[in-house]
Amino acid sequence: MTEVRFTVNGTAQCVEVEPRLTLADMLREECGLTGTHLGCEHGVCGACTVLMDGLPVRSCLVFGVQAEGAEIRTVEGLAAADGTLNVLQRAFQAQHGLQCGFCTPGFLMLATWLLEQKEGVDEARLREVLASNLCRCTGYQNILAAVRVAAQEIRVWREG
Amino acid sequence: MTGPLFPQGGPNMGQPAPRYEGRAKVTGEARYPSDVRLPRTAHACLHLSRIGRGTIRGFDLTAARAVHGVIDILTHETVGDAIRQTPAIYQGGYTSDSLLPLGSAEIAHWGQPIAMVVAETYEAAREAAQRIVVTTAPHPSPAVDINAPGAETRALEPMMVQAGDFDAAYAAGPIRIDARYTTPAQHQNPMELFATQCVWEGDRLTVHEPSQYVNSVKFGLAEQLGVPADNIRVISTHVGGAFGAKGFLTQRTALVAIAARRLGRPVKLVATREQGFTVSGYRAETRQHVQLAATRDGRLTALRHEGWELTSRADTVAMGGASMTTRLYACPNILGRVNTVAADRSTPGFMRAPGEVPYGFALETALDELADRLGMDPVELRRVNDTQTEPVGGLPYTSRSLMRCFDVAAATFGWSGRSPRPGSMREGDWLIGWGCASAYYPAQAGNSAARVRLTADGTAHVASAGHELGQGMTTMMAQVAAEELGVPLERVTVSLGDSDLPPAVVNGGSAGTASVASAIMIACDAIRARLGVPRDAPYAALRAAVAASGLAFVEELGEARAHGRSPESLPDMYRGRALPLGGVELPDRVQFAMGAQFVELRIHRWTREIRVRRAVGAFAAGRIINPRTSHSQLLGGMIWGIGSALHEHTDIDQRNAAYTNANLADYLVPVHADISEIQAILVSEEDRLVNQAGVKGVGEIGVVGVAAAISNAVFHATGRRLRDLPIKLEHLL
Repeated sequence: MTEVRFTVNGTAQCVEVEPRLTLADMLREECGLTGTHLGCEHGVCGACTVLMDGLPVRSCLVFGVQAEGAEIRTVEGLAAADGTLNVLQRAFQAQHGLQCGFCTPGFLMLATWLLEQKEGVDEARLREVLASNLCRCTGYQNILAAVRVAAQEIRVWREG
Repeated sequence: MTGPLFPQGGPNMGQPAPRYEGRAKVTGEARYPSDVRLPRTAHACLHLSRIGRGTIRGFDLTAARAVHGVIDILTHETVGDAIRQTPAIYQGGYTSDSLLPLGSAEIAHWGQPIAMVVAETYEAAREAAQRIVVTTAPHPSPAVDINAPGAETRALEPMMVQAGDFDAAYAAGPIRIDARYTTPAQHQNPMELFATQCVWEGDRLTVHEPSQYVNSVKFGLAEQLGVPADNIRVISTHVGGAFGAKGFLTQRTALVAIAARRLGRPVKLVATREQGFTVSGYRAETRQHVQLAATRDGRLTALRHEGWELTSRADTVAMGGASMTTRLYACPNILGRVNTVAADRSTPGFMRAPGEVPYGFALETALDELADRLGMDPVELRRVNDTQTEPVGGLPYTSRSLMRCFDVAAATFGWSGRSPRPGSMREGDWLIGWGCASAYYPAQAGNSAARVRLTADGTAHVASAGHELGQGMTTMMAQVAAEELGVPLERVTVSLGDSDLPPAVVNGGSAGTASVASAIMIACDAIRARLGVPRDAPYAALRAAVAASGLAFVEELGEARAHGRSPESLPDMYRGRALPLGGVELPDRVQFAMGAQFVELRIHRWTREIRVRRAVGAFAAGRIINPRTSHSQLLGGMIWGIGSALHEHTDIDQRNAAYTNANLADYLVPVHADISEIQAILVSEEDRLVNQAGVKGVGEIGVVGVAAAISNAVFHATGRRLRDLPIKLEHLL
């Protein structure tokens, strides 16, 4: 067993895990953060996307021990402490960017990263980035609309 | 909010209310069955057969048992007769196939569960499952697919459809089409994996499992385990997509239940994505033969559609789509036939529009071939053969708006700008293809119940064992209760996905809303009758009536019986036997939702890359309770249609029938980059006959016909008629 110290959504964590435990399972099983979902366990579907030191990672392809010292952000950390939804969450709800909701946390974290990039987002970039995650229901049109609306609202949208 | 993605309700449509559980799904608070955390859980991992059909000679479990943390290993030698044989759904029972879980040394197919390890951690269980050594005797030449020499073909006589004299009319037909089509095996691949958690408290069992039908799991499991059904509760609050894969009881559930009983601890199984390819059913591959004869002005005089569908040796399963393709157009001489071809494979099952996708592809492509032969616009060919009387039995459609759908979609698409000659529309190096096809899906419903409670504080609660698969069931249930009682929507709460609630039909066959909405309406009627409050009474009057009654709440159970079901059938739903009925299976009428699909694609002149540039679909499906969730069902269906035509096929190893692309990297599904403009139009339609709610259902119709529209567009772009799915660029070289 290996001790891992990291933060999740700003809260310090210290857990003892086997080196073969994935970050996804560490978050789900050790931290109780089951909002991160597993859809393929080999890095294709993106449902388990979380942010690790500011970058989106497939948490099924990262070992928990690799998170030593890292800052992890998950879907549970998006809303304000009082439960107020952030701009992206509101947009997903308002634009109906979800159906079964299983892929939603992964899309939300991927889009969170996208909207934080200095260069902003245009249509081509939006489609390119979102193409890395799968939605089987499939709500692609509304997911695009949701991220577009959120980008416009926080003024990082670029007409391309 | 308006615009193409957010249609407001038109006539006979409700409000586009936001998703009831939207907040839970954007915060991570929604608990799917694998998210439920139970103290002292042991973790299970399946070991599936790595050979095709054959026999197990023995297990060497030494290495597996040596893995630290392993607690128990189940095989056919240790399970013995702990699980009883129960009939499959096709025999009137509950299970999705009739193989007994870990029932014997016989292996029916590659990927069959033959052992299950239980350990302290998932990692240990998975490692041990990989260390199980199995000695086997493989069958020398298993029949791997529908074309295998050893596969057994059987004609299903009860599925034969006949009207007039096809042979004579076809022989006499001035214009004839005779074509053969194939469609591949495909897998539903919902994003959520197949999970099961079981926990016993004394002799009571709770199962957490994503399901389209908790009562199938409950009652089937009760028979398998020899436990009273009252002792079993199945909970499935959120389901991460299903598409038919989670419809019925699979082998895994009984294994997890007996493992939990042996250990006296909760046991959790999450099958891997690869294992999911044989844990449940799938869309079987088909071969089809269509023959059409028509007059020179396009009137059909003879129509024959015969299908061959792969099935397993254990189960004779057929989707029988010819029963519908023979009942779409006016034609005096009709013959429909269905055959199964049994091979050494797992039992197929339901996948979004199970019979309609393959059979619709064949018929709607054949019609395009006929239109081309006649030099006729394909929309006009459908108009000439449109009918308000179903052609086989002469029965009326409860309503039919096919040509209204074609007209709306054609106008939106700009179909009048089409140059009909193949290869005649180009943009630079891109060949442009425009194609269209009809969409259709039988309007079905099943016996269902719902309980509605109106409380003195003016809130309402509606409960039914329907399921939230992502389609919007929860929102719909709240809306119907709000509308029927006159309670503000935000004051209505919903419970579903729990076998302790009033039973509902399997949430498949696009029957969920039609069935459950009808039950909610009956319950609300009863509440208003009990309070003596008229239908259009204001909310204040309703609240005043509850207060005057002196009761803390008024609660009523509504039981809706589907048209065609006898009064004696109502108790069946309390035994997990509520299956949808409708479509063409009624003595007095037929019921279809209908639509029109239009596709524009581009094919690169040199590389033959195929890109769908835009798709327009228009659909008439009776009353639309929520245009927002219905619309996104249709959009999602259309994207599935693109996948069914251009991406999805399960590859079968010719040696042992292994699925060689059993993962999401190699089993291709559409992604954002494949999808450009998709437009779904809700066409207003009122149908007072189809069921109490007037709802036909939209879960599946969106996918139907897209593959034909695409193959027809490929023909329009290139002059090449491709009759085998999926269509890939190498087929156009």
